[in-house]
Amino acid sequence: MSTIRVRSAASYWLAVPAAAWMLGVVVVPIMLLIWVSLWGGRAFSTASPLTFDNYAKFFANHTYIKLAFTTVGHTATLMAVTGVLGYCIAYFLTMKVRSPLWRLALFLAFIVPFWTSTLIRAIAWVPFLGVNGVINQALMFIGATNAPIEAFLYSKTGITLAQVSLYTMMAAGPVVYMLSSIAPALREAAMTLKAPPLVVFWRIVFPLTLPGVVIGQVLVFLNVMSDFATVATIGGNKHALLPNLVLLFYESSQIRAASVVAVLLMICMLIGVVIALRVVDIRRLGADR
Amino acid sequence: MRIGWKQRSRVTSWVLGTLTVIFLAYQWLPIFTLGLLSFAGPTGGTTFPMNGTSFHWYEEVWKATVMNDFKPPLLRSSLLALACSLTTIVLATMAAQAMRGQFRGSGWFFYLMLLGIMAPGILVGFGFAIMMRILGVGLSWDTTTFMVQVSWTLPFGFLTMLAVFNRFDKKVEEAALTLGASRITTFRRITLPLVLPGVIGAGLFGFSLSYDEYPRSMFTTGPDATLPLAIMAQLDRQLTPEIYAVGTTTTLFSLIAVTLCTFGLWAMRRSTAVRRT
Repeated sequence: MSTIRVRSAASYWLAVPAAAWMLGVVVVPIMLLIWVSLWGGRAFSTASPLTFDNYAKFFANHTYIKLAFTTVGHTATLMAVTGVLGYCIAYFLTMKVRSPLWRLALFLAFIVPFWTSTLIRAIAWVPFLGVNGVINQALMFIGATNAPIEAFLYSKTGITLAQVSLYTMMAAGPVVYMLSSIAPALREAAMTLKAPPLVVFWRIVFPLTLPGVVIGQVLVFLNVMSDFATVATIGGNKHALLPNLVLLFYESSQIRAASVVAVLLMICMLIGVVIALRVVDIRRLGADR
Repeated sequence: MRIGWKQRSRVTSWVLGTLTVIFLAYQWLPIFTLGLLSFAGPTGGTTFPMNGTSFHWYEEVWKATVMNDFKPPLLRSSLLALACSLTTIVLATMAAQAMRGQFRGSGWFFYLMLLGIMAPGILVGFGFAIMMRILGVGLSWDTTTFMVQVSWTLPFGFLTMLAVFNRFDKKVEEAALTLGASRITTFRRITLPLVLPGVIGAGLFGFSLSYDEYPRSMFTTGPDATLPLAIMAQLDRQLTPEIYAVGTTTTLFSLIAVTLCTFGLWAMRRSTAVRRT
């Protein structure tokens, strides 16, 4: 017995506004993109004939193909780095920090930047990366280099450095959640049965946290694949990934080309999410508790 | 000689601990640098050395001309975030309550909401802008941007409310219903006050998400920019410590909002705890 009857009409109608909002603002516009990407002709009109010409044009250009592979490669690098780093941090926070006060303080120190703007945090990297930036001055101070390295600002390295700081907590968060739901008795049982610590980790702890790892990876994957703001801020106009291409075409009023890139981006993401869902069942996450 | 597992565990602790501390520094140093450099003197550049300390760049922001005036965008962003937050509270509570009713298609509904989180802002924003163009609707920060941003804040509010309803003690509701209260009265007098901290959390989450949102706004905002758009536009024109001053101000603004709300939730939990005894 609860305030709402199971399978009642009321429960159905309560969900309608939210469902309609999401359908109208998320699902329909994304479907529209597929349609627009198939438009032939030049005018912006719903009566345009449908063709695959826009796709043919995109795939005929080697620069774009290379860009697509660069985007996927860059995303894979970030997933690997944030995955390992995030897991280490999550493991330390949940398993190694004993004092509750310290744990709370550390959690807050990690979470608070999340409440500030990602854009500002990306901009904050600019004074770090420039030729006279903090990193170069520090390197020169300790004598690692004589001349400043120009490879930080407006470079892939700089973009990667900033994105690692922006997205590692996304990889760590779900792992923290899964780690803290592992019953200590499980590990104790394995220890009692004389399993060495590494085996306990590899055979017991890691498989139990795997859903968290995958969810974190999906979050990082989706965010990096679509993050054009950091690339634009730190990469200047020298670097572009697929999402920047959408923007570039949009600003030059090439709606069809922009839609084509958007659809391809969407397909990449769908493939990624489907692979992830094959590994873990997302619905089990909530049910475990 | 093999080292014992206790010692090995201590070594792991140290390694992981050092890594965590280094990462914390890595995450915080840029933010601190931004704050520090915003106090550079009038001749200060965008990196060290600072060339003196002053409030010059804050004055500059305050006295700004038409081109880089950040005050109207700040007002717009705040109003927009407030509207998104309130809409999210209402719709997310309704949707989460509906999920408890396990209506037909609730599985699909859950995935629809997840899609709102998964779908990248650039696709949603771009697609919505195209749709508005096909429908012939003009873009504006208080109509189209509002609609798009709610589609971003609502799923997070919904997940928060689902978690809140999962944890809350259903026996209290049952007691009220058994004593003859109607479902609506029970919801209003028993359920809602109990889940209120969660509702406020969802609203706060929505506020912050909307206030900082850039990709969704970029395609759907008309001539009047929101704060992230104004900052990005200024960054494209010219990088001066003025941007750092704006960044520091909005970061402080977010931090104060979070602190106040956390404190509010804490105080409220305490007061409800006292009432219970």
